[in-house]
Amino acid sequence: MSVAGRASETAGRNRRAVPRTALLVGGLVLLAALAVLSMGVGARHVATGEVVRALFDYRGTDDHVVVRDVRAPRALLAVAVGAALAVAGALIQTLARNPLAEPGILGVTAGAGFAVTLGSAAGLAGGQAGELGFAVIGAAAAALLVAAVGRSSPLRLVLTGVAVTAVLNGVALGLRLMLPDTFDLYRFWSVGTLAGREQAPLPWPLTAIAVSLAGALLLSRALNALTLGENVAHTLGASVGRVRLTTLVLITVLSGAATAVAGPILFIGLIVPHLVRKPASGSVPWLIAYSMVLGPVLLLAADMAARVLLPTGEVPVAIVTAFLGGPMLIWAVRRYGAGSL
Amino acid sequence: MSIRRSSGLVGALALALVLTGCGSSSDGGSDSASEKSETRVFTADNGKITIPANPKRVVATGYAVPALIEADAPLVGISSWKRGEPMMTKDDLATYKKLKKIAGEQAAETNYEAIAEAEPDLIVIGVPAPVLGDIDMKRLKSIAPVVAIGPSLPSAWRDLSRKQADAAGAVKQFDAQKETYDTKAAELTDKYKDVLPKLKLGHVGAYGDAAKGTFQREFNGSWGTNIAEDLGATYYGKVKKSGPGSAAVSEYPSIEELPAAFRDADALTYSVNADGSVPPSVKYVLDSKLWKNLPAVKAGKVFPYRYTEAATYGEGLLTLDAIDESLAPLLKP
Repeated sequence: MSVAGRASETAGRNRRAVPRTALLVGGLVLLAALAVLSMGVGARHVATGEVVRALFDYRGTDDHVVVRDVRAPRALLAVAVGAALAVAGALIQTLARNPLAEPGILGVTAGAGFAVTLGSAAGLAGGQAGELGFAVIGAAAAALLVAAVGRSSPLRLVLTGVAVTAVLNGVALGLRLMLPDTFDLYRFWSVGTLAGREQAPLPWPLTAIAVSLAGALLLSRALNALTLGENVAHTLGASVGRVRLTTLVLITVLSGAATAVAGPILFIGLIVPHLVRKPASGSVPWLIAYSMVLGPVLLLAADMAARVLLPTGEVPVAIVTAFLGGPMLIWAVRRYGAGSL
Repeated sequence: MSIRRSSGLVGALALALVLTGCGSSSDGGSDSASEKSETRVFTADNGKITIPANPKRVVATGYAVPALIEADAPLVGISSWKRGEPMMTKDDLATYKKLKKIAGEQAAETNYEAIAEAEPDLIVIGVPAPVLGDIDMKRLKSIAPVVAIGPSLPSAWRDLSRKQADAAGAVKQFDAQKETYDTKAAELTDKYKDVLPKLKLGHVGAYGDAAKGTFQREFNGSWGTNIAEDLGATYYGKVKKSGPGSAAVSEYPSIEELPAAFRDADALTYSVNADGSVPPSVKYVLDSKLWKNLPAVKAGKVFPYRYTEAATYGEGLLTLDAIDESLAPLLKP
């Protein structure tokens, strides 16, 4: 390439880099604004001034307790779960090179659900801590099984994930039909929600999500090389096997931890990568960075809608994302196409 | 007229009076002196049903199980009723365990063949009206007359259990049990007359859903409150939007509404398990800082209630004792 050509490419990159960075900063500002706004929305009316005072001048009044001890942890959870699911979705779609792949395709959600069912049947999964523990173990075990069987190729991985999901869902359903008490406990868990989690032991899953998100950013350049094909990735010096294994671990931890703390929430992991693929322009690092911001934005917005949609009380956020997810996915695919994978 | 004929006439008259006194009319279709063929028309949730006047082989399901075991009804088969086991007396529990199980905990788990094998002359279904859809009534009716007497409002167990006992021809023992309950309740009403009626009470029920960030608030007439009301307690307020059954007397607000719900309460009560342990849905409320901020909680006026699922007078006796035990500190100066 000539010097002039290189200069032109560099100038092009610079021209594009500014809007991409600006878009990311804009997304972060929107995220921060939504997070604060979400602390003012709920069953109890809290004035905007009190929301700010609760955050910066806590006095322990009922309003302050609602903001600091109920809504702030919920907003934090929405950010963490939204980012985890969206990034896990971006990673699995990139790894499997399949636009319909979503975090649950590796059997993680089914594994968590199966373990919660099993734990309930054994009388050990009572309470949020118990459910969380079983969900983490189940998600990890299912992902390990899928990775062990299907690690040789992305297609085999997806097929194994689908098969394991079907088997685990079937066995869990059988158990729930035979054990009505287990069914009763499971039905509360099975519709993902961010409500009522403020007393759950959240630090561990949130730390796991934060570390995995950082790991995803670090891995994104290597994944970029992998999107060019295994041979090219080898030529560029990427260790294909190691990158694939690390990506699988990250997807498992991200979606497993998110499902464990909030229950199954569909569509965020599927639609967010589609929504940000166009502005990311085929760059995996930008795809992950945008997903990390848009996932929380969508989940926070859905969670606020979940609180105010019905006059009878709030609905689980997973129902809102399911309602919004379908039309949004169709819109995104029609507007932008599936984009490069 | 011979003495023998006179006594026969008196007996027939007495039988007619008893049948009329039950509030149901004899169908008059049986002139036979045989007790077995005597029938009467009984009004149940599923309409007016002709049943034996004096059933000898009764199958019971749902809420009818504890009611008819306590009433010493002639049971030959029952559904499983695990939730009532902790509230059964030793003898009643032995009877419960000994009786043939013809259905599981759910109405959909009814074993029709087992019911037919039990050869009942009456089937008493004690499930809520909407659940009747899970039962093949036509098939049951082909086995024996079926009366459905299910729960409606939580506090209606008093009338419903009597009706179930009446259908099964076991009112005598039922009334004896009721009298024991009434005596005990009157005794405790007198004991707490200077404190309990003056308090504005609030109750947290066990059926809230911590996973959704809600709690169950129970008002007068609900499961957790109706027996305490027999002692003079009043649970203030009413549901925002009334619904059928227990939705008329309890609701599930967000935990954020805890201060508004109980700010004015002088004392608070909450449901616990039979062994005294706190169910997860109640623990979620008790561990909340909003709960700890409530005036009644700060004043230490918080009392757990056991056996709040009581749906018979026998079970209610346990609840009375449990409430008495819990509220005892109110009597200390």
